[in-house]
Amino acid sequence: MSELLQVQGLTVTLGDRRIVDDVDLAVAAGETVGLVGESGSGKSLTARAIAGLLPPPLLAHGSVRLSGAELVGAREKALRQVRGRRVGLLMQDPFTQLNPLLTAGAHIAESLPRGAGRDRAEIARRLAEVGIDDPQVARRYPFQLSGGMRQRVAIAAALAGDPELLIADEPTTALDATVQHEIMRLLAGIQAARGMSVLLITHDLRVAFALCDRVQVMYAGRVLETGRGRAVAAAPGHPYTAGLIGALPAVERTATRLVSIPGSVPRAADVTDRCAFADRCPQRQDDCLTGRPPLREIAVAHRTACRYPVQPPEPPAVDEQPVAARPPKPSDRPLLLVEGLRKEYGKVTSLDGVDLSIAPGERVALVGESGSGKTTLARCLLGLVEASGGRILLDGTDTTRPRRLSAAQRRTVRTLVQCVFQDPSTSLNPAMTVGAILAEAAGQARPEDRLPVGELLELVGLPPAYSGLRPHRLSGGQKQRVAIARALAVRPALLICDEPTASLDVSVQAHVLELLRRVNNELGTALLFITHDLAMARQITDRTIVLLHGRVVEAGDTETVLDNPTHAYTRRLVASVPPAPTGKTAHA
Amino acid sequence: MSAATTTRPGVREHGRRPRIAGGRVLTTTALSALALIVLAAILGDWAAPHDPALQNVELGPTGPSATHLLGTDDLGRDVLSRLLAGTRTALVAPVLIALGTTLLGTTLGLLAGYHRGWPDAVLMRLSDLLYALPGLLVLIVLVGVAGGGTTIAVLALIVLNAPSDIRIIRSLALGQRELAYVDAARTLGLPDRRIVFRHLLPNLAPTVTANLLLSFVSALVALTGLSFLGIGLPAGTPDWGLMIQENRTLLDLNPWAAVAPALLIMITAIAATLLGDSIFERLDAGKGVPE
Amino acid sequence: MNAALLIARRLVSAVVLLGVMSVLTYGLLSLSPDGPVQALLGNRPSTPETVAAIRAQYRLDEPFPVRYWHWLSDVLSGDFGSSVFAKQPVLTVIAERLPVTATLAGYAMVLTLLLGIPAGMAAGLRRGKLLDQGVTLVALVALSFPPFALGLLLLYGFAVELGWFPTYGGGDLWHYTLPAIALSLGQAAVLIRQTRAATLDVGAQDYVTFARARGLGRMRTWGSYSLRNAALPVLTVAGLLAAANLTGAVFVEQTFSLPGLGSLLVQAVNQKDIPLIQALVLLGGAVVIGVNLLVDLIYLVVDPRVRHGAPA
Repeated sequence: MSELLQVQGLTVTLGDRRIVDDVDLAVAAGETVGLVGESGSGKSLTARAIAGLLPPPLLAHGSVRLSGAELVGAREKALRQVRGRRVGLLMQDPFTQLNPLLTAGAHIAESLPRGAGRDRAEIARRLAEVGIDDPQVARRYPFQLSGGMRQRVAIAAALAGDPELLIADEPTTALDATVQHEIMRLLAGIQAARGMSVLLITHDLRVAFALCDRVQVMYAGRVLETGRGRAVAAAPGHPYTAGLIGALPAVERTATRLVSIPGSVPRAADVTDRCAFADRCPQRQDDCLTGRPPLREIAVAHRTACRYPVQPPEPPAVDEQPVAARPPKPSDRPLLLVEGLRKEYGKVTSLDGVDLSIAPGERVALVGESGSGKTTLARCLLGLVEASGGRILLDGTDTTRPRRLSAAQRRTVRTLVQCVFQDPSTSLNPAMTVGAILAEAAGQARPEDRLPVGELLELVGLPPAYSGLRPHRLSGGQKQRVAIARALAVRPALLICDEPTASLDVSVQAHVLELLRRVNNELGTALLFITHDLAMARQITDRTIVLLHGRVVEAGDTETVLDNPTHAYTRRLVASVPPAPTGKTAHA
Repeated sequence: MSAATTTRPGVREHGRRPRIAGGRVLTTTALSALALIVLAAILGDWAAPHDPALQNVELGPTGPSATHLLGTDDLGRDVLSRLLAGTRTALVAPVLIALGTTLLGTTLGLLAGYHRGWPDAVLMRLSDLLYALPGLLVLIVLVGVAGGGTTIAVLALIVLNAPSDIRIIRSLALGQRELAYVDAARTLGLPDRRIVFRHLLPNLAPTVTANLLLSFVSALVALTGLSFLGIGLPAGTPDWGLMIQENRTLLDLNPWAAVAPALLIMITAIAATLLGDSIFERLDAGKGVPE
Repeated sequence: MNAALLIARRLVSAVVLLGVMSVLTYGLLSLSPDGPVQALLGNRPSTPETVAAIRAQYRLDEPFPVRYWHWLSDVLSGDFGSSVFAKQPVLTVIAERLPVTATLAGYAMVLTLLLGIPAGMAAGLRRGKLLDQGVTLVALVALSFPPFALGLLLLYGFAVELGWFPTYGGGDLWHYTLPAIALSLGQAAVLIRQTRAATLDVGAQDYVTFARARGLGRMRTWGSYSLRNAALPVLTVAGLLAAANLTGAVFVEQTFSLPGLGSLLVQAVNQKDIPLIQALVLLGGAVVIGVNLLVDLIYLVVDPRVRHGAPA
């Protein structure tokens, strides 16, 4: 058998609850396999179980064989011989996986095999392999390194024992797009040079398709589809995969309609004896709810856990017009005008003279990576922090110094600009019900604009019964919709969206994007869409502004900026977006 | 001085505690014990079988008997009656201190954590200072030298205990303040007072409640400790701490005279601690942890 | 910010704290209800001559800052004045009693460490198991033990009823065992809770998993990963424990009739022996400030983030 890793019937349980359910997986020598899934799919636990590193009290059952040797149930002592030397594990967060008290060099040195020379030259050689040419880095502590550098050091440490298989668990998710791209290229390069096998865990289909020989799609703790990357991308064999691909925004084009998958991921334990995806499936049949569909072969090395062929998505209904921008109202003055805005925190310059203007009803993307100042800009516009210099004019009112505004001006300003924040898990007060949150917000609106809570919920597509729930009962996407409703409660002229979909799963992102497009179209609310994701920007905005180190480096029509970037940084950003799969199911 | 008094750790390790098997039984027991003690405080003199101050020097210290269930002390006074008479003093001042400390600590902690700036800096330096003082030593000296009575002790304990509450609440408020829901409330133009008391405070409710009970325990321990040292109270007052002090030499004649008040102090302290812990757990779990 | 600057800042703030404390301590004198003269006279007859002598000796006719300054310079040169009652230099009185308290505090500290750290770690490592539940419950309950009440119960149970220990007084270590236990249980509870939390916290960190994923040996993962990182938060309670030890000693010495600094303080307070009180309070404060300073310095050595001035 040529398989290096052979996983059969792997099940992870918490008490008597199944979290990963009967997963088969194989990785051949020198092969890269992608394990793809949204949050809650069980992909990371599968990876941990393979390395024998499940956090207690989780337990693994089934079989994990490495070159024929069984790892499930093996003694800790035996596993320690396997870990590092034969199987390496790279974790997601570069900020937490290195010991804060040890230098980069110490991490590598302690991971080198005992026989090998643990000297400075060897450490420098290992650092060079991960693209760090400065041997001084070995003497630095993790907190002195950037996220990308930390992840490189972690890779060097994980590879120090020269493992045959590297399990990389979302190794770039916490990093900026351009850095993600570099790290992925680095991993691919090392994989090729060493001829080792890689099991890449990712939520990003595009990354999996771009890097992996084979992909395996997981959902609610089980495998729904497996096949060659290219084959799955071109002709997904499972409605879930097809839905995911359809929900992916492309940087190359603007979709007329973004397709989302309704509902949310069930718990694995609740769907053990039926198709896990049935509740959200557009082509569900009666027998989907009885018995679990086995993986069946639909083409060479391409298997799916669906009994039916994937049907092409329904064409958009006749009366459904593509949601376009409402043409900006003719107006003699912009809604928002920012001139030479500066913000310094001590010696750090966060905004270095930013100019910007937004017309009523316009949709503008503000693109930048961490440290670009995009969030600081938003906070200045919202009056949450005070700028150090420059000017902000909101519909003619100077709001640069929020504390100097009169009470009447404050009332005006808050109905001009509102915000949807990034993290849905913290953007709603956990101690208040949805109804109380929305009612409080509506109380801040002009009397003539006040909407009852029910209508606000309806506006974002949630049933009125939700007003009695507390936030922890809602899914991430639902929370974000409530947050949008709260912002809309005062009928703002400008809605700032600070990475509103960054923490959401792909299948849910599309829904939020579509909602924002509708809000713009139907209410005429201008959007300032802050994002690091160019594909997202493409779908929802007309104009794009690129921010780097607190300066605007490029601005223009979204299409022009993304198709023909002029600034070197924008070009790098565009190049770092993995291409969207061009399967027949994707909407164009 | 118990660890609960001056040494409430700045880092609270709530949450992450194992579900204790039989936790419900413990809580019920703690609640019943406290209820009994409060009842004793209310009925106090009325329920006492004898006049707590009535001396019978000829009788002297005797062990438990039918007339004196817990025996008598050196001066032949009835121990049970004195215990009952001391219950009210034992509870009232600590309750006042707990309320005062929590009110002061929570308000200042919330304001410091939310507004930051110079008031925060001043408060933190002040609490650093109070932290560096061995609190109970200061109390002993203050009450002992200045000769102030209970009022001074109550005020001093509020001031000495508040910094720990201020710090805990402030650090929690600082954490909450960074969350998007606070930004959203500020963006909506809600008044700061509303944000602090309607948004932040409910999220800190479990900790505030736990602090209230802990403050009670620490005040109880401190005040009984003070009277145990014979400071601040005239001799002969029926007081738990003083009873231990006066009767600790009678351990061979009537051990109950000293052991019973010691037990009562411990039981009250333990019951309040357990109750605070269980309330914290319940409130914190009720908030729901996002998955 | 470099390490030298950090050390300098810590030292300065310790000195400032001590300064503030000395002002407060000196201010005690004027708090005395009968006025400073009466307090300093003690049981000597109050004749115009003695009063005048006291006023001159303690410069009571000069303004507060001047008086304070003279007192402070005396203190700095090791002269705390004379005990009003013992009629001996304060330092002599203190030195006589110090060994008792030092023995008690040292003994209790050792017990606290021996009990607190292993129990806390064991509980943290067996999270949710029966052992953890037991330890957590005991620590929670012990947190509210007043040392004097606990001491009395121990005294009654083990010394009076069982007769295993002497009932009072100092002597060999055996005499100190019950007092040390009474003093250390509450502190051990604090330490247990802190250690357990730190152990849990570190155990759940990615870097520990990543260390295991690289096949590092048990000792290595344990030592340079778990132990070193868990030690940091535990260290922060050292100052609190020192304060608890000091104040606890006052009560425990009283319970067990140990002639240490604690009983001395109670006696001084009852006799309103102001110079003695001032010295004892200043000494207590200095110990707590010193321990906190030491903790800060240890942090500098152990944690590179502090050393390099980064937020930990």
